[in-house]
Amino acid sequence: MKKLLMLLTFCFTVNQMSAQLLDNLRVGLESNMAWYNDDKRTGPFFDGENNDGDEHVRVNSYLKLDYDFLESFTATVQIESYEPLALLNYSPNFEGTDFGIYSLNYRSDKLEASAGHYYEQFGSGLILRNWEDRQLGLNNALLGGRVKYMPTNFLSLTGLYGKQRVGFETADSDIFGFNTEIDISNIFKFESSSLNLGISYVGRQEKTDIEDPNFDELTNAFSGRIDFSKGNFYANAEYVTKSDDVFVINGQVINSFVNPGNALLFNTGFSKKGFGLDATFRRLENMGFFSEREKTGNVFLENNINFTPALTKQHDYLLTNIFVYQAQSQVVFADPQLMEAGEIGGQIDVFYNIKKGTALGGKYGTKLAFNASYWAGLKGDYDFDNLTYDVDYFGFGEKYFSDVSLEIRKKWNKKMNSIFYYVNQYYNQRTIEDNFSGEQIKTNIIVGETFYKFGRIGQSVRLELQKLWSNTENHDWVGGTIEYNASPRLSFYVNDIYNSGTDSSTSENHYYNFGGSFNKGSTRFSLNYGRQRAGLVCVGGVCRFVPEATGLSASLLMSF
Amino acid sequence: MKYLFAAFFISISLLMHSQEFPDINLNNLDGNSISVKALADSSDIKIFSFWATWCVPCINELDAIADVYEDWQDETNVELIAVSTDDARTKKRVIPLVNGKGWEYQILLDENQDLKRALNINVLPYVVVVKNGEIIHTRTGYTPGSEEELYEVVKEHSK
Repeated sequence: MKKLLMLLTFCFTVNQMSAQLLDNLRVGLESNMAWYNDDKRTGPFFDGENNDGDEHVRVNSYLKLDYDFLESFTATVQIESYEPLALLNYSPNFEGTDFGIYSLNYRSDKLEASAGHYYEQFGSGLILRNWEDRQLGLNNALLGGRVKYMPTNFLSLTGLYGKQRVGFETADSDIFGFNTEIDISNIFKFESSSLNLGISYVGRQEKTDIEDPNFDELTNAFSGRIDFSKGNFYANAEYVTKSDDVFVINGQVINSFVNPGNALLFNTGFSKKGFGLDATFRRLENMGFFSEREKTGNVFLENNINFTPALTKQHDYLLTNIFVYQAQSQVVFADPQLMEAGEIGGQIDVFYNIKKGTALGGKYGTKLAFNASYWAGLKGDYDFDNLTYDVDYFGFGEKYFSDVSLEIRKKWNKKMNSIFYYVNQYYNQRTIEDNFSGEQIKTNIIVGETFYKFGRIGQSVRLELQKLWSNTENHDWVGGTIEYNASPRLSFYVNDIYNSGTDSSTSENHYYNFGGSFNKGSTRFSLNYGRQRAGLVCVGGVCRFVPEATGLSASLLMSF
Repeated sequence: MKYLFAAFFISISLLMHSQEFPDINLNNLDGNSISVKALADSSDIKIFSFWATWCVPCINELDAIADVYEDWQDETNVELIAVSTDDARTKKRVIPLVNGKGWEYQILLDENQDLKRALNINVLPYVVVVKNGEIIHTRTGYTPGSEEELYEVVKEHSK
């Protein structure tokens, strides 16, 4: 309360200052509201996380201020409010109103320094990534200090120390990091190719109460990277190794089960105008890395030090997002039949533009995108009773997931465009969700989308039809969306998905939604009413489970 | 508490103003570091379009502009800089997608979303039009035909 009043005073004071000063201020406001209803079909509203069915109205709000001053400095604060409670399925650590982020940053050509909260990523994030995603309720910034020094145009050095943010508090551990990037091509003045190297270290120091622990309080992770490109070709590789880390099940440290971890990522591609090809291979073994060991595998995505996203295509349609792969980075010993130490697999992407004026290209050309991925467990010997495993380095074990998709985009004329989308998936529910009774689900999904422009600028309609067939009686979905854009500012939509299968949780329920949005400049307001299907909500490669809920929701975004 | 936030909101509305572009370096597809402030500090209009490979309306918008981009450039000297916010999961798809589609835009990679965060961008697609380092227009979201409105803004300020 006091803090807010102080800030309010601060804002008014700033308001009185000259326009010159205001030019240096950037403000972002986001507010997401929900009013949850009881639902005849899916039952009365109840929030299992907070054990509360009375607080039907929930609001998450974020206010961020960045102020540039003295040419090289920026001060940032972010105030967050979760009142009376946070939206459903956010971590209970997001409670009340408080400063979420505060930092002071200095920046010059050769030196950057931050004190307070900061977001850092080393390499692809396999060893360290701090980031924020408000939709996922994720903010794992480090609170401490970071220095980046770039003495020459081919060398960059980063050193950092911090405690990881968890809710409005920090984790009870210390994170140390060091990163070096070397641009070899700059040193040797390569003209036609580029070669970069990266070396990182991340340490987690956390005290333990375990007597005679079989592991060190300091866990060390090292990574090395190489990036090469020449003309239309590129390739890069990253290897991470993590020192002995203890197995955790349901928040319990199992002192007799300690293993090191490692990750290998390889990516290569070739592209030229009208054609692109990319292939990725990755192997993860025991790569869960958390700022508190006991938080391993928590559903709120808290305490994550590294980032091991599912390397599969991120689909955009309602029915293509029902069976979503989650990277299996950590060790799971749930049952003698359900044991994992990681994952191995890859994906391939092809983009091709059929030229204008050809038979298949037509007047505007036809754009194709193809993706395929395959992921499996690590092949090897797993011993449930003695808590040991011994896995092959390049052995493919039980299949977890596969995905094949083809997208065709076609512009028919100045007014009409269509997208055709086909997906075939295999989803091993038992291993991906650690669910003993899970099924092996195979699906075929077809989506057709067309939009048509008419009338004045920005007026259009969009129609989307979707159908999912599966090999199980439980899943047989159909869905559709109609959107009407009255202008670039005003838009309305209705959608619905329906499962005519026998799955107890979703069968014969319509998951309908309707709403609209208004945009003006950087302000956006949207209003929505509908029923949310329980399942994974995926944003930027990380997915979280959201519960079934019905209600009215509204969102306001502003930045200036 | 709700009222406080409302009061907050009102006080901030009073602060509305044209803001300057933040000073951040991003890598281009060749791995070279590019200062976005230096790009923005130009008397020619620059459009920064924030997108991601998984964002359908973003790709619709960039595809739609690609069809008319030559004409835009001839008439107004405008340049579009497509800032990819893809992270480690989808970043590898950026180069083949851009080339596969034959986009002629300058592409920058905002892999850990430093620029996106500095501009307080919450949803994609998001377009920022800049001239002489000052933001003159922003827009969230894309519906078919919005690019024509965007071009009206460009034409108006390129005189």
